Amino acid sequence: MLQMVSRSATTAESRAAGGAAVSIHNLCKRYNNFEAVVPTSVEIASGDFFAIIGPSGSGKSTLLGMIAGYIDPSAGRIVVDGRDIVPEPIYRRNIGMVFQNYALFPHLSVAQNVAYPLKIRGVAKDEIAKRVRESLAMVRLEAFASRMPSELSGGQQQRIALARASIYQPSILLMDEPLGALDKNLRDEMQEEIKRFQQELGATVIYVTHDQQEAAFLADRIAIMRDGAMTQIGSPRSLYEQPKSRFVAEFLGEASIFPIKTASARQADQTCRITLEGGTEAVIRTGEDGGPGRFACIRPERITIGPKARGLANSFTGVVRESLYTPGSIRYRVELKDAGCLLKVRALPQHNTEVFETGSSVDIGWSVDDMTILAE
Amino acid sequence: MSVSEKRLWAAWSRFLTGLVGAILIGFLVPILVVVAVSFQSKSYLSFPPNDFSLRWYQQFIGNDDYRSAILNSMMIGASAAALATVAGISTALAVVRAGAPGSAIVSALSIAPAVLPQIVLAIGLFPISVWLGLQGTLWAVILAHAVIGLPFPFITVCGALTSYSNRIEIASMTLGANAFQTFRLITFPMIRPAVIAGFIFAFAASLDELVLALFLSSPSTRTLPLLLWEQLNFQVTPEIAAAASVILAVTSLLILAATLLPRLDKDN
Repeated sequence: MLQMVSRSATTAESRAAGGAAVSIHNLCKRYNNFEAVVPTSVEIASGDFFAIIGPSGSGKSTLLGMIAGYIDPSAGRIVVDGRDIVPEPIYRRNIGMVFQNYALFPHLSVAQNVAYPLKIRGVAKDEIAKRVRESLAMVRLEAFASRMPSELSGGQQQRIALARASIYQPSILLMDEPLGALDKNLRDEMQEEIKRFQQELGATVIYVTHDQQEAAFLADRIAIMRDGAMTQIGSPRSLYEQPKSRFVAEFLGEASIFPIKTASARQADQTCRITLEGGTEAVIRTGEDGGPGRFACIRPERITIGPKARGLANSFTGVVRESLYTPGSIRYRVELKDAGCLLKVRALPQHNTEVFETGSSVDIGWSVDDMTILAE
Repeated sequence: MSVSEKRLWAAWSRFLTGLVGAILIGFLVPILVVVAVSFQSKSYLSFPPNDFSLRWYQQFIGNDDYRSAILNSMMIGASAAALATVAGISTALAVVRAGAPGSAIVSALSIAPAVLPQIVLAIGLFPISVWLGLQGTLWAVILAHAVIGLPFPFITVCGALTSYSNRIEIASMTLGANAFQTFRLITFPMIRPAVIAGFIFAFAASLDELVLALFLSSPSTRTLPLLLWEQLNFQVTPEIAAAASVILAVTSLLILAATLLPRLDKDN
């Protein structure tokens, strides 16, 4: 028993140098006839901040539970630094986990909570005291060591949970909607904190959230889950600018999406002419076939509104159906003349930007590179 | 709310206060009578008492039968409550945390001894006790009392376990604690007030129990309520009232402890 404890303590030290690479092979979870997670494979590089987003019930928390060890996979492997951890019990995986509702031990003080993983690992008392001080300093709550968790605010509790989950320097840190219970302002502040924390710790982070902005702010790579499957994985930018499906385009940010009726053959300059439902024609640059049955997608800030739109490859006139000034941007809904297409437009106001009123007629347009094709 | 409605509510709340008062009086008066009757010098139960004497308490203390019965009751009560508490904690963990199949049935069975007629239990336990060769030993009564004590720790611990999420225990395990360490360091400290309360209630239940003791004990394992019962059949003296007052005092202290101890424990 004693030997076991000290061995796991040394594994913790040896892995502390940085994050572990995680590679997931055909991992799946079935409940009776329901597939919570379909066979999924993904490689997460050492030190990566990997976010999993998706609507509730998409299987993201189940996936996290399988990595942590409290949900048994139906099949598949989770390989951490070359070793399959699926057969290992939860308490030997040496993975840190932060929960949405903090899961602090209510009967233990802040310092005792943070010391808990070290106590379990049989670390010497002075060493524990020293590391608890360092760890609390890292989340800037040194002064709260002797408080009880119930005496702390939500944000403070989550910082303690962060300190507790990282004091044994796990090579992987899992977070299950850690900011879900906090209000908006605190959430923004905590995002900064988590980012800084991960950079200092160097651990590989797998972060589950349903908040796409949070994921985009924090993550190096994002996986979007739907119905138990990762539909697309990529950097926040690639997911936003090159979504492969209607689901991804709509889940991450805003978009105007139209079914494609016909498409011309691809030209030498990689452009083709497509007809959208309603008869609007557009020229787009595409690496793929923009054939019928697919969708054309354009982000609201890619659309130019006003006189500047006249010279663009795709230039139309439209009627403003909705005009809304919000801090930082002006949002419109513009209906294209004779087509009935409704476009979402976002303009960045400068000091002399004209704001178009509802009902006014405007020029509107975009270049060949602004529209993307969605395969499904 | 209109004025007449307010009057109606006021009348209703007066009625309820009166009702609760009447119930409490109906409950307390016989107790007070027993205590009052025990402090008199007459050799029969006279009420209202017109003198004060500790005569029957002296006789009660000097009586070897009572002394051994009290000792039996304490031993049986403590052992039965300990067994019931261990069983209650385990069952509650299985029902609330493990969500094992059939947990609804297990739950119903664990509460059943509190509501089923004890005479049925007694009739069933008697042949078992004979068959196991336990009849007439302390163990027969201890095991039977553990059964009737089980609902108390089971109910209190179930309540404590459902009051917080199992995330706490999962968190403990992700932090490196195995199931045993998690129970010792996290689960048990959190349910401790419920465990203490459950133990005390089970102890008190054993201390008051007559029917099972009647079936399962022998003259050497006689419990205090059983001795009182025998004395009542034989001769009614205020000594019985003195003995009953002592049981009453001990049980009251236990119930007081069951309410206060968990609270003190929580404050620490």
